[in-house]
Amino acid sequence: MPIIVNLDVMMAKRKISSGELAQRIGITPANLSILKNNKAKAIRFSTLEAICRELDCQPSDLLRYEEI
Amino acid sequence: MWDEKKSIALSKLGVLIFMLLILAAAVFAPWLVDWLVNFSQAHLAGKEPLFYITLYTGCIPAMLLLYELYQLLQRISRGEVFVPKNVTSLRRISWYAFLGGGICLGSALYYILFLLIAFAAAFAGIVVRVVKNVFAQAVELKQEMDYTV
Repeated sequence: MPIIVNLDVMMAKRKISSGELAQRIGITPANLSILKNNKAKAIRFSTLEAICRELDCQPSDLLRYEEI
Repeated sequence: MWDEKKSIALSKLGVLIFMLLILAAAVFAPWLVDWLVNFSQAHLAGKEPLFYITLYTGCIPAMLLLYELYQLLQRISRGEVFVPKNVTSLRRISWYAFLGGGICLGSALYYILFLLIAFAAAFAGIVVRVVKNVFAQAVELKQEMDYTV
């Protein structure tokens, strides 16, 4: 997928663990891992909204388009 | 009460019965062929080797088909329904049916009634192939659902 999820970078900046973020945004750690490892095929607006809220960032801070 | 587990168990039993029938057909081929030749009252006399070839070569795709069907049922009973392995199984099943149909089509050259079996096998093959196409789409949809966060 040419869309790259920069979640791990943002999480490192905010110094938050995967378990804590998963709990705060209300998804399972397994699903967060799918998102972090760029395995996700789609992301719900509600999930994106929750991540942006908890990490205090914009969607553009989390997603990047890269030509393959 | 009747439920899904019992239904799968019944399907498995059906597959095993068919496996036994095919095995029995292979073991008792000499008697079967003799009976058919005698029944035809000399019309088929001398064609026994051709019947043996059809019977034994036909048993191979039939057994492989039933084996794949059993594997498919095993996976369904474990709750693995829309998985790529099942699509592969269905594709193999359809090809085995076509192969069986091809053997019967060739055999129709010496015994015309094999044409009916060839038609039935090819029909089953095409039906399974359509089911396989549906399954392939369902697997893709399920993967998309599973990887939507």
